[in-house]
Amino acid sequence: MKQYDAIVIGGGHNGLVTAAYLARAGKSVLVLERRPRVGGAAVTEEIFPGFKFTMFSYVVSLLRPEIIRDLDLPRHGLHILPLESTVTPMENGDYLAGWADHDETRRELYRHSPRDAEAYDEYGRLMHFMAQAVKPILGMVPPDPTSFAPGDLAGLLKLGKHFRGLGAERLHALVKLMTMSSADFLDEWFETDVLKATKSASGIIGTFLGPRSPGTAYVLLHHYMGELDGVFRAWGFAKGGTGAVSEAIASAARSFGAEIRCDAGVSKVLVRTGRATGVVLENGDELPAGIVVSSLDPRRTFLQLLEPEHLPSHLVADIKRFKFRGSSGKVNLALDALPSFTCMPGVGRQHRGAISISPSLDYVERAYDDAKYGEFSRRPYMDIVFPSMIDPGMAPPGKHVMSIFVQYAPYNLNGGWTDAKREAFGDAVVNTVESFAPGFKSQILHRQVITPLDIERITGLSEGNIFAGELALHQLFFLRPAPGWAKFATPVRGFFQCGSGTHPGGGIMGASGRLAAMRILKDGK
Amino acid sequence: MSYDALVIGAGANGLVTAHYLARAGKHVLVVEQRHAADPSADIGWVPDVVIRDLGLARAGLRIEQPDPWITVPLAGGRGGGGTLELSRDIGRSVEAIRHISPSDAAKWPEFCNRMRTLAGVLERLYLVPPPDIESTDARELARIAGLGLYVRRRGKQTVIDLARILPMSITELLDDWFESDVLKGLLGALGIWHLKQGPRAGGTAFNFLHHHAGSPAGVFRPPRSNVTQALSALPGVEVRHGERANVLAPNGRATGVVLEKSGEEILAPLVVSSADPRSTLQPVAIELDPEFGRAVDNIKARGVVARGTLTLESTPAYSTLCIAPSLDYLEHAYDDAKYGRDSATPYVEVQKTDGRLELHVQYVPYTDGAANVQRHQALQLRVAQVLGAQPSQVKLHSPDEEELQHGSTEGHLYHGELTLDQILFMRPVPGWSRYRTPIEGLYLCGSGTHPGGGIPGAAGRNAAREML
Amino acid sequence: MSLRTTPFHPRTGPLSEGQAWRRWAGYVVASSYELSHDREYHAIRNSAALFDVSPLYKYLVTGRDAARLLDHVVTRNVGKAKVGQVLYTPWCDNEGKQIDDGTISVLGDQTYRMTSADPTLRWLHLNASGLDVKIQDVSESTAALSLQGPRSREILQLAAERDLSSLKYFRLTSAKIRGIPVTISRTGYTGDLGYEVWVDAAQAVPLWDAIAETGAPYGITPAGMLALDVARIEAGLLLIAVDYFSSRHALIESQKSSPLELGLGWTVATDKERYNGQAALAAEGKRGPAWQFTGLTVDWDSLEQLYADVGLPPRLPSQAWRTSVPIYDRGGHKQLGYATSGGWSPLLKRYMALAHLGSAHAEPGTEVRMEVTVEHRRRQAKAHVTALPFFNPERKRG
Ligand SMILES: Cc1cc2nc3c(=O)[nH]c(=O)nc-3n(C[C@H](O)[C@H](O)[C@H](O)COP(=O)(O)OP(=O)(O)OC[C@H]3O[C@@H](n4cnc5c(N)ncnc54)[C@H](O)[C@@H]3O)c2cc1C
Ligand SMILES: Cc1cc2nc3c(=O)[nH]c(=O)nc-3n(C[C@H](O)[C@H](O)[C@H](O)COP(=O)(O)OP(=O)(O)OC[C@H]3O[C@@H](n4cnc5c(N)ncnc54)[C@H](O)[C@@H]3O)c2cc1C
Repeated sequence: MKQYDAIVIGGGHNGLVTAAYLARAGKSVLVLERRPRVGGAAVTEEIFPGFKFTMFSYVVSLLRPEIIRDLDLPRHGLHILPLESTVTPMENGDYLAGWADHDETRRELYRHSPRDAEAYDEYGRLMHFMAQAVKPILGMVPPDPTSFAPGDLAGLLKLGKHFRGLGAERLHALVKLMTMSSADFLDEWFETDVLKATKSASGIIGTFLGPRSPGTAYVLLHHYMGELDGVFRAWGFAKGGTGAVSEAIASAARSFGAEIRCDAGVSKVLVRTGRATGVVLENGDELPAGIVVSSLDPRRTFLQLLEPEHLPSHLVADIKRFKFRGSSGKVNLALDALPSFTCMPGVGRQHRGAISISPSLDYVERAYDDAKYGEFSRRPYMDIVFPSMIDPGMAPPGKHVMSIFVQYAPYNLNGGWTDAKREAFGDAVVNTVESFAPGFKSQILHRQVITPLDIERITGLSEGNIFAGELALHQLFFLRPAPGWAKFATPVRGFFQCGSGTHPGGGIMGASGRLAAMRILKDGK
Repeated sequence: MSYDALVIGAGANGLVTAHYLARAGKHVLVVEQRHAADPSADIGWVPDVVIRDLGLARAGLRIEQPDPWITVPLAGGRGGGGTLELSRDIGRSVEAIRHISPSDAAKWPEFCNRMRTLAGVLERLYLVPPPDIESTDARELARIAGLGLYVRRRGKQTVIDLARILPMSITELLDDWFESDVLKGLLGALGIWHLKQGPRAGGTAFNFLHHHAGSPAGVFRPPRSNVTQALSALPGVEVRHGERANVLAPNGRATGVVLEKSGEEILAPLVVSSADPRSTLQPVAIELDPEFGRAVDNIKARGVVARGTLTLESTPAYSTLCIAPSLDYLEHAYDDAKYGRDSATPYVEVQKTDGRLELHVQYVPYTDGAANVQRHQALQLRVAQVLGAQPSQVKLHSPDEEELQHGSTEGHLYHGELTLDQILFMRPVPGWSRYRTPIEGLYLCGSGTHPGGGIPGAAGRNAAREML
Repeated sequence: MSLRTTPFHPRTGPLSEGQAWRRWAGYVVASSYELSHDREYHAIRNSAALFDVSPLYKYLVTGRDAARLLDHVVTRNVGKAKVGQVLYTPWCDNEGKQIDDGTISVLGDQTYRMTSADPTLRWLHLNASGLDVKIQDVSESTAALSLQGPRSREILQLAAERDLSSLKYFRLTSAKIRGIPVTISRTGYTGDLGYEVWVDAAQAVPLWDAIAETGAPYGITPAGMLALDVARIEAGLLLIAVDYFSSRHALIESQKSSPLELGLGWTVATDKERYNGQAALAAEGKRGPAWQFTGLTVDWDSLEQLYADVGLPPRLPSQAWRTSVPIYDRGGHKQLGYATSGGWSPLLKRYMALAHLGSAHAEPGTEVRMEVTVEHRRRQAKAHVTALPFFNPERKRG
């Protein structure tokens, strides 16, 4: 049997990135994916004939540009198209829009608040700086502040220098972003409620927090980082959906010689005398390998693939404590025609961008209140795009697909998720959209409702947390996934982690996969 | 009459600053708007060095450290289900907790020790000015390195705990340890003190530890004292009561204060305000860099606590009665405040000091600084219901009333919330944490500065030492 | 939706021969009306050019503390200005770095109109904390025309049916033109005799007609931004985002400039109470600014020679340019600074540029080298530091 240098468990985009970098460095690599296709939470599937759904993730912006260049992804089919705008319908029939053109956006904001129109530019500049300030950290293996090893001390020193180099003003802004709620942070800049609501919404994505909960400002920043590097404007949509991103990475990995095997779920990592020697598949086959890398979330990586006896007990405790608390759902629709929103009737450029259902801060906060006490939001926050308006190939000519990202849908629903509850959740979503776009329901041809439990079942992401573990301050950097084990290694020699549950965290970013590969290659030297 | 220094406000911090300055030979006048000292108890850790330096023990300082330190009615309400009482003796508390949860009882000693270690780190940070992380001064860098080393010497677990726990919510922290709603409720309540946040909010674990500072392991309510009274009794500084004072600062330099009623100007080269930073600085905004002014405006000081008194026919046996039966109870109480309403079922604590029963009621959110009789009565009724008392026995003072009467910004008794973005070098505003202001000769020394409210005298002492 | 047009667009729109428009503060304005801007430029210096300057940001500041607010913000002494006066002034952040520049018109007791190149409403509000003052954004409701050139006075006198000879440079007066109430200020961005006419946006079109018709026999010529750009360089007038960056937009410290470094030392008041940047400017004044903003005249023979070297006659920029160009010492090695605008002056027949030079090298007459690209190759042309303005006719103030 072939002995691979490395086996990567999980063919999500991070696993594929790790595999591609390892293969590029000349290693023989095998990727094992449980599902019939690669992509994980970044997949495009034709659930109804002719209609392609971006099942889970739907927009890209965080994908590290160095990965695109290193792996030459455009040659493998990656094409990211700009999302032009964000329109927020308000409950009074008005709207707030951000357009691609700066002057136009300014004028629109001015309509709501002349002062906010000006503050918006300064805010944008600050966030740009902040994203820039954090960028080096995204590309850095987190040093361990509890260690006295020279490498860690040097890392800490470098980090200290970096932050001090930012200058007082930006350093303070960074502290605020790390600690505040997005609502409070935005309060320092703006007075227009709907603007704060829409902006703060990116701070709640993937969290079990409301816009007024501290810690959400950091998630806001996390989502701003994609606006960097000038290559893509803000958020983009991958031609073919996010599945096409995974396919492009897979194709790059294969071009470097990696093998990818689907329908090959892994049940255990083989460990002999504290060292990983290969994996056991769900069908019982054993595959030996020099090293094993898991792209699964920390709970699966440590508690499912390994036996507890391979791990120190405090690590087991830390991982058990690691918070997932999935809170997001997804509704994908096949449409006969595009919905017409009361605030901006007809079909137009608003359909080429995002529609944000975040009419007020209180609206979003109330959506959270429901979830806090174990219910899905009766009127949820939603981020809507029409992929077929950006890439016509996503639906039959003249028809459309609609991707609705929904919060909140708590994994631990009172009484648990059932088929009936899933449909009730789908109804809440559809009815809420209907309230902003009357007649919309009659345009629906097919509907797919995805609860956090479904996310968990399909992709394996524990509790359906979209980031493989919450992006909370106490689960970031050297604490992700656990203190002492944030550098992609594990207590089992030759067994590594490379998924979104490691630094720097979730989203279609590829950073974890790349950093892990670098770390593994450095170790091998 | 000429003075070397004027201090605005005769609260604990103002008086501490005044006395440190006086002891350094300065001729000091304190101007206080109230006609007489507030009779209510001072809540919080009075640092030993302040007591020693100023000889407060001789001035009649009394610190109450009640034992048991808290009493909580158990389900069944109003005594029907008995009570949980926690004592200063950890073993006794373990026994008490065992009745409601053996598992929690087993964890109590370890929890108390871990929290004590962390609070110890805070104590060390609190008795000195906050670290200046932008400094390039070798001595300051050495001091920061020293603090870092101090923390690391407490062990790996302390470093990890600090990084993990400070940004956490008190709910997450307590869920990590305990199962009993009652226990988590009474501990969680301390985490939300004076915050417009619920127990699920990040940073409430820090707020919990902040209020644990100065207390021995196993005691999670700060001591109560008459420190302001003791300070008032101390000779050496002149205090003028009944006068509200504003800073005079023509051309960006403090020259004294002007009294609001008479317009009288009192001049001195050094002006120190223990009033909250927003109300101190807003009147002189025109002298400030607008960016600094914006930072001051942005200080979050959203009052959420109504203080008051309870009059009962007979003195109750408890020293502190806490009505916060669960974390969800607190969270629900906060939900109301989020939308600008008083909690339908507020968290209420009765603190017995010198025989007086004082009330802490949360959440009573500041709204617009106006008095609203209807709202006041409704709140009174609810508090009475929660306590099983008569409305007439409950006297309350809401944040709106506090601002109306004393001009303290949004009635926040800590002069600024103790959230992670408003502590250490971020307090009162980022970059100005060393008690100075951009106005030459004007200093701040109140709870709005490091280390903040609930530690009477610490800010006052740090500030005085910076000035001297 | 798309871009906004100014209140004069019903008239300026049809005049555009080449549909050459550019953006200004979210509006479209003409780059030039004719296919080439030459004639429009010459009208500024020869007869009268009519510009639509409505996109300027305009704020009405009123109330008891109006002067106090403005004095807190800008560097010049507003409190001392009399009704009817117009002040050109920069304003700074607390570090004395320039945020923007514009004019303040004293319309009445406690009534001021401020113009700016960037939106300034928020900054005014940030500075107004605790003051008794009202700040209104009148950018949209106020339209403005600028009539510039030697014959502008004659035209405006006829249109307003009154004598304007007593209206001095940087003064304003109210008037009526065909019954339309307007404010006329003797101001402009050309360094020539000229006026700006401020009017309620609703009356913009009839005002245009009145002035255009009255001016026709005098050679009045609607002119666009290209012509204006040449004239303002001749006049040595700064352009934000070209010749300097607003300190609130600068990405790094070195992109910021102080008024002292921009040749605006004369606007920095020393006789008023604290204002934003005062302390920093006072200290800088004592130290002496590190940079100077000056004119450069590119040596014709040197330019001709560089082209002759490759067998070409000299080529001149057909429009004013707005890029950053390095300036070296006469040896051609050490960089002394950079030019930010430049172009050929059809009137003065010389190649001029506006430049930032280290203070030690900014003495008029100093010989320097400016980088020019000659047939795809970088070359250095000889140039001399020239005091600003390049062109300053008697009639401007007379
Ligand atoms: C509903 C939803 C919406 C989202 N929206 C966005 C968005 O718009 N933009 C964005 O940037 N991010 C978004 N995200 C987050 C983003 O999709 C994920 O963070 C990212 O795709 C995770 O990539 P990964 O490779 O780390 O893990 P995954 O994609 O989870 O990959 C793990 C892979 O491992 C496989 N696997 C699991 N168990 C086994 C096993 N035992 N053996 C073998 N294989 C196994 C899984 O099938 C899966 O393919 C969204 C996520 C969700 C769920
Ligand atoms: C009514 C009241 C209730 C409180 N309740 C609690 C509580 O429940 N729990 C708790 O932990 N802490 C409470 N505190 C606060 C606590 O006493 C202080 O936070 C802390 O002990 C230190 O106080 P300080 O000196 O910094 O500020 P303060 O005690 O607020 O002192 C500031 C003083 O300055 C005076 N002042 C303000 N502005 C002016 C002015 N312009 N001119 C003249 N005088 C001025 C005020 O009247 C006040 O006496 C309370 C304070 C007050 C006033």
